[in-house]
Amino acid sequence: MQQASGRDDAHADRCGVRTVRAGNTRMVQASQRTVEEGGGSCVSSFCPGEMAGIKALISLSFGGAIGLMFLMLGCALPVYDKYWPLFLLFFYILSPIPYCISRRVVDDTDSASNACKELAIFLTTGIVISAFGLPIVFARAEVIAWGACALVLTGNVVIFGTILGFFLVFGSNDDFSWQQW
Amino acid sequence: MSGFLDGIRCGDCECNVDWGERRNTIASIAAGVLFFTGWWIIIDAAVKYPDEGTFHHAYHTCGVIATVAFLMINAVSNGQVRGDSYSEGCIGQTGARVWLFLGFMLAFGSLIASMWILFGGFVVPRKSCLSVFCGAIFLILSSFLLIRGLVFKFGRTEDLWQ
Repeated sequence: MQQASGRDDAHADRCGVRTVRAGNTRMVQASQRTVEEGGGSCVSSFCPGEMAGIKALISLSFGGAIGLMFLMLGCALPVYDKYWPLFLLFFYILSPIPYCISRRVVDDTDSASNACKELAIFLTTGIVISAFGLPIVFARAEVIAWGACALVLTGNVVIFGTILGFFLVFGSNDDFSWQQW
Repeated sequence: MSGFLDGIRCGDCECNVDWGERRNTIASIAAGVLFFTGWWIIIDAAVKYPDEGTFHHAYHTCGVIATVAFLMINAVSNGQVRGDSYSEGCIGQTGARVWLFLGFMLAFGSLIASMWILFGGFVVPRKSCLSVFCGAIFLILSSFLLIRGLVFKFGRTEDLWQ
């Protein structure tokens, strides 16, 4: 009993995790179990469901950073040095908007909501196709080099994969609210 | 060894689950891909051949009329044409039918015009950008045909014009 409370105190001092100091043995053991389940590091006060959400968020943000890195490489390498592909940022920002609007506006399963959802999917597909078409048109018009076009298209694929992954992981709950973080 | 192909089954997959809901989504995605790819091919042709001699600027009207027809056709739902929706709308069931009729007429007209331009403007004088142009027009028109055909086919089973 004494060693358990000593370990609790050391853990609390290292990570700032506060375990409830209760009188009976059972409560101390339960809080220890929760602390050890969470991974034993400083994020151990989260439950495992949030842990998976945070891992997905971190990997999605890494994917987004890699995609933007490809876009900037396609613009800023000294052999290319043309900043026209930055117009694609406009398409990246626009692409989740139709689907988000359709999710917010209608929440029934009648025919009007299906038509709205299909219109949103149509527009989103159009924005994605435009984001692939613009670098190709630039490269064919010799505004940018074909190597830059290839880098920018790779960045496109990564970023749209990230956005899709974001919607698959975080968008599938019924009430789409921003307070889940 | 003698029965090693027994395990292969063709068409036994369970991809028919929730097929009704997925069909509309896949049709929307396919129509979006075709429509916008067609428009980007037209933009590419206009960028590559900017002068009036190779790519007449009046040829753009095919794509514009096809887009207007696409919007007109998709603005009307099946229910309003059949007359079984709750409200009649601004112009009623007959108005919806006339609207749809005009939309299809514009669409087929732009399809015919694009074929004419293809053969009269590019194939016969042996111009260079014909493949680009014809691809664009076909893609735009096939997109609306696809989406409307799918919407009609996967609607209810009763006849459209009663």
